[in-house]
Amino acid sequence: MQEQLELMLREAEQEISGCSNPNDILNTKAKYLGKKSVLNSLYGKMKDLDAQERPAFGNQLNQVRSQIENLLNLRAVAIKEASWKSEIKAIDATMPGLPFGRGGYHPLSIIRREIDEVFLSMGFEIAEANDIEDEFHNFDALNTPQDHPSRNLADTFYVEGGFLLRTQTSTVQIRVMENYKPPIRIISPGRCYRNDKPDPSHSPVFHQVEALVVDKGVSMSDLQDTLQNFAATMFGHKVKSRIRPHFFPFTEPSAEMDISCVVCEGKGCRVCKQSGWLEMGGAGMVDPAVFDILGIDSELYTGFAFGLGIERIAMLKYNIPDMRILFENDLRMLRQFKGEM
Amino acid sequence: MRIALSWLKRYLPLAGHEAKLADLLTFAGIEVEGIEKLQALGATVIAARVISAEPVPKTDHLKLCLVDIGDTEYPEKDADNRIQVICGAPNCEAGMMAVLALPGTALKDITIAKAKIRGIHSHGMLCSERELGLSENHAGIIHLPPDTPVGVLADRLFALPDTIFELEITPNRSDLLGYKGIARDLSARLNVPTIEPEVQDLSAPLSTLQLGLFNEEPTLCPRYTARVFEGVKIQDSPLWMKTALIKSGLRPINNIVDITNFVMLECGHPLHAFDYDALASRDGATGHPDIVVRRAADKEAFLALDGKNHELCIQDLVIADGKHPSALAGVMGSKDSGINPETKNIVLESAAFHPGTIRKTSYDHKISSDSSYRFERHLSPRYAREISERATALILDLGGVKAMGNLLDSYPSEDQEIILGVRPSRFKLLIGMEIDPAQMKDILQKLGFAYIQDAAHQPGLVADLNQLAPAVTAEQVAQYYRVPGYRKDVTREADILEELARLIGYDKVPQRTVLQQVMDRHAYRIQKKAAEWIVAWGAYETLNYSFTDPAQMQSLGLKEEDQPYIHLINPQSSNQSVMRVSLVPQLLTNLAYNINHAERDVKLFELGKVYLKNAKGHTEPKHMGAICTGAINEEHYKNKLQAVDFAWAKGCFEGLLQHLGLSPQAQACSIPYLAEGEAFAYELDGKHLGCFGRIQSPVLEAWGIDATNLKQEVWLLLWDIDALASATRSLSVTFVNIPKHPAVVRDLSFLLSDAYTYGQVRQQIVGLEPALVRDVQVFDEYRSKQIPEGFRSLSLHIVLQDQEKTLTDERVDALMTSVQKTLSEKYNITMR
Repeated sequence: MQEQLELMLREAEQEISGCSNPNDILNTKAKYLGKKSVLNSLYGKMKDLDAQERPAFGNQLNQVRSQIENLLNLRAVAIKEASWKSEIKAIDATMPGLPFGRGGYHPLSIIRREIDEVFLSMGFEIAEANDIEDEFHNFDALNTPQDHPSRNLADTFYVEGGFLLRTQTSTVQIRVMENYKPPIRIISPGRCYRNDKPDPSHSPVFHQVEALVVDKGVSMSDLQDTLQNFAATMFGHKVKSRIRPHFFPFTEPSAEMDISCVVCEGKGCRVCKQSGWLEMGGAGMVDPAVFDILGIDSELYTGFAFGLGIERIAMLKYNIPDMRILFENDLRMLRQFKGEM
Repeated sequence: MRIALSWLKRYLPLAGHEAKLADLLTFAGIEVEGIEKLQALGATVIAARVISAEPVPKTDHLKLCLVDIGDTEYPEKDADNRIQVICGAPNCEAGMMAVLALPGTALKDITIAKAKIRGIHSHGMLCSERELGLSENHAGIIHLPPDTPVGVLADRLFALPDTIFELEITPNRSDLLGYKGIARDLSARLNVPTIEPEVQDLSAPLSTLQLGLFNEEPTLCPRYTARVFEGVKIQDSPLWMKTALIKSGLRPINNIVDITNFVMLECGHPLHAFDYDALASRDGATGHPDIVVRRAADKEAFLALDGKNHELCIQDLVIADGKHPSALAGVMGSKDSGINPETKNIVLESAAFHPGTIRKTSYDHKISSDSSYRFERHLSPRYAREISERATALILDLGGVKAMGNLLDSYPSEDQEIILGVRPSRFKLLIGMEIDPAQMKDILQKLGFAYIQDAAHQPGLVADLNQLAPAVTAEQVAQYYRVPGYRKDVTREADILEELARLIGYDKVPQRTVLQQVMDRHAYRIQKKAAEWIVAWGAYETLNYSFTDPAQMQSLGLKEEDQPYIHLINPQSSNQSVMRVSLVPQLLTNLAYNINHAERDVKLFELGKVYLKNAKGHTEPKHMGAICTGAINEEHYKNKLQAVDFAWAKGCFEGLLQHLGLSPQAQACSIPYLAEGEAFAYELDGKHLGCFGRIQSPVLEAWGIDATNLKQEVWLLLWDIDALASATRSLSVTFVNIPKHPAVVRDLSFLLSDAYTYGQVRQQIVGLEPALVRDVQVFDEYRSKQIPEGFRSLSLHIVLQDQEKTLTDERVDALMTSVQKTLSEKYNITMR
C-alpha cells in the first residue's frame, strides 16, 4: 500500500510539473483528487479495515492528499506569475498619446467666469438684466442730469421705441433695487454699448461686471475689503488695490479704483505708464438720491457699488495689445486660450 | 436614559406643558431619541386574587385558576365574585395578587376574548409586565403586593397612562443624569419652580456595629461616605418604587438595591450597598470590618456581581474590605459582598470618583453599568452626604431598620468652587442679540448659579474677587456667579454664554442677513454646462457684436416679417444697424474668416443673447450656436481621421440634451439655410429646444466660402439655452435599485431595404417586450457590391435584462425568434 501511494505521488508530481495553464491544473486536480480518483476510492476502502488500522491508514491518505494539493497550489501560483511576467513588454514611451480634441473659451469668457467664481465664493449672487434699456434705468434713476453729455447720440446707441443700449451695467443696480428689498449682494456681468469707433482701446460693444451691496451698516470700509479681496484673488496676493476720489452722478463719495501694476508690481513700467497703478473701474457709495428715487430708506441703508471692465482685465492679464483682436474670433487667437479654464 | 413623565412630575409641575415636553427637552439641548406612550388599560384590567391554581390535566404548564374579582362588573362571575381563568405562567400560584385583563380588554399586542382552552372556558388573562406594555419582561405574571385591594384598577397601580422619553444626554452634562437634574433645567426654561422631595425623618437608634474607613487614594476618590444599618429586613420594595424603576428600564431586586437605584435615578448620583457581615477586618484585633479605598494589586482577582472573573491591575481603584476588593469603585460590586435575601446588616456607600479612572476601568474590563456611565461623566463630591441622606431616609422608611451608625465621611479636600464673570456685552457679541442684565441674572439663578452682589468687573475665571479692577467701559461690566458643583462643564465665560443662549432659545437668535434669491442658479448652471459640453466636443468660443447686418439675416431667410428686428437709430454703419435675432449670420462670418485664413477644421460656437421684438416689447433669450466642419480628431497612428458629419452632429446635439436629463426625439424640419432633409428640430411639450442640420452650399457661397473646393460638410447646431433651463428646472434623478440579475446581449445582423429606417426597426424590437429590452445598439452599418442595390446591412446588439429573475436561454431564444419573425413580416428583413 505504502508503495502504491508513493508511486501515485511521484506520478502526480511529474504531471503537475508539466501543467502550463490553469486548465491543466484543474484537470490534474480532478484526476488525482476528484471523485473518480484512485485516492478517493482508497478512502472508500477504509470501512473494510479494522478499527485499529483505520486511523493510520486515513492519516497516510490525508498526507498524500495534502502533498498533492500543495504541489497543485504551488504550480498554479507559478503559472500565474509567469503569465504576469509575460505581460511586461517594451513600449516606446515617446510615442504620442491619443489627442483629445477639446476646444476652448473666449478670453473674455474666461475672465468673466473667473470673476463669477470669486464673487460667488464671497457670497454674492449673480443678477441678470436686459441690454436694451430705457432712459430711466440707464440715466434718470442713476441721477444723471437731463443735459449730461453722455446722453448724446454721439455717445449712446438708441433703438426704436425710445429705448437705448445700456451704456453701463449700473442699470442692474436699479433693476435689482426695484424688485428686491435689502440686504442685497449681487454682481451682474453683461454687455454694454457706447458709440465709440473700434480702436485699440475702444469697442462699441464691451463687457462689464457690476457689483452692488446694500445693507444696514455697509461702509466704504467694506468696499475697500471687497476690492482688495477681489484683486488678490484675481491677480495674486501681492497685488494691492486703492480707491481715489472721482465723480459719478450715482455714487457719493465716488471713486476710481486702481490695482498695483501686475506687470512691474508697482515699480513703474510701460504698461502702467510708470505710475505703478492700473485703473480698474469706477466705484463708490450709493448716492442717497438713488435710494430716494427707488424708495429705499437712505437713513437706514447704505451701500456700495462698482463696475469693472472685463476687456481691460483680459488685456492686462493676457497682454493683448488691441481690443479689436477680442472680436475677430480668429482661431489662432482663440487656440492660445485652450489651456485656460 | 429613560424618563417617565409620571415620575418627572414629582419634581416639576408640568401641567399645560406635557404636549410640548419633547420640544422643550430638544431645545434645552436634551435630545429626545424616542417617545413611548404607555396606554391607559381601562376599567377591565384590575387587581385580582388567585384563589386556587390547579394544573390542567394532560398539559405540562397550564393552570386553571379561580380568581376573585371583587365588585368589578362582569356578567359571568359567580355569586362569590369568582371567574375561572387559564394561566400558563410558571409563577402563577394560589393566594397571589395578580393583574387580570377581562375579556374585551385591548392590550398593546392582543385583544382579550373569552376563550376555550382544552375544553375549559377562560375569562381573561393574568398579565405579565410585557403584556401591560410596562417592560419587555415576560418571564412570569406580575405579583402584586399581597395587601393590594381586589378590584383596584391597574391604571392606578401603575400610574397609567404615562409617557416614556428616551433621552440622549450629551457627555458634558453630568447634571442631567437624574430626574431632578432634568427637572431643574426645565424649570429654568419654563419659569416654574421645582418641587423638592419631602425631608424625611433621619432619626434611628445608634447602632453598636463598628466600621473602619481608610481612603488611601484621595485623588482618585475625592470623597467617600459610608453608613452602617443594623437589622435590615430584605424584602420587595413597594409597588410605586418598582413601577418607577421598571418604567425607567431597571429591574427591581429588593428594597435596598432598589433604593440605591431609585436615588441614583432621582439625583443622578450612583450609590452602592454592601452586606456588612461579608466584609472582612483589616486588622483582626479591632474585630470590626473595614472599608479600604485603594488601588488594586497587580493581578488581584475580582469576582463581579455579574458572575464574571476579572484580573485587576494597579490602575484600577477598588473598594476593598480588610482583605479583598468588594467593589470595582463606581463600576460594579463583587458577588460576595452584595445584598442577598439573608443579609442582616448593610453598609451604604455614597462617594465620588475621578472620572478618568472609572472610564479606564470600565473600558479595560468591559463592564459598563448605570453607575460607571454616570461617574465617568464627572460627578461632584459636594453632594455625597445629601445623596446618602436621601437614601438613608428611604432605607429607614422601607427597610425595617433596627439601628444605624453615624455617617463616616472621608472628604480630604473640598471641591474647588468656581467663580465666573460674565459680560452682557459679550453675549451681544457672540450671540448677536441684546440681553437685559436682569434677565441674565434671572436665568442663571434658576439654573443654580449663585449671583455675587457688588463684585467688580473682569470676565472669565475669577481667582480672587477682591483683586478685581473696576469696569471702565460699558463693555467691561460683568456679573459674577458661583458655579454650582453639579455643573462641571461650566468653567469659562463662554460656557455661561452658552447656557444663556440655550435657555433663551436658539430659535430666538435673530437671522441678521436674509439674502434675496436674486440669482437663477439653475439657469446659471445650465448655461455653464452647455458651454462646457460644446468645448469638450472641440469647439472654440467666439463673441460677436449684438447688432448685425439686416441684409445678411434676410438672406438666411430669417425674415423681418416673421421676426421683426429691433433697429438702431444711430448705427455706426448699415451692416451693424439691427439687433441680432439669430447667432447664425455671425457664426457663418466667423467660419468664413477662419477658412479664408487657411483653417480647415473649424468648430466655433457662441453663447449669447438674441433680441426678439414682440407685441409687449422685447425679450433677450440666450442661445448657443455652433458651426462645425472638418476633422473631429487629430491624425494619430491609433485613430483614423474622421470628419464632422450627421452622426457627429446628432451625437453632439442630443448628447447635451441627455447631459441635462432630456431625451426628446428628433423631428425632420425645414429651415431655409439648412439642406433639405438634413435639418432636425427638437421639442418638448410644444417648446422648441433647438435644431441642427447641414448648412446648404449656396449659403456658404454667399458668405464667401468656396463650397465646392471645401469638400467638407458644414453642420450647424443651435440650442435655446433659456428653453433648456426651463425644461430641466424640476428634473431630478430618482435612484432605481441596481438590477440583481445579469444582462444578456444577443446580436442581430440583417439586410434592410432603404424603404425602412433603423428607428422603425428599433421601435419594433423595444415594443415587443419593453420590460425586457434594456437597450438596442447599432454596431455596424455597411453597403457593398455583395449587397443588393437599395439595401444595407445593419448589425445590432440587443441588451436584455429582467429586473425580477435571471433570464433563461429558452426565454431569450423565444424572444429573439419573435423579433426575427416580426421584423421579417413588417420590414421584410433578410437575416445574415
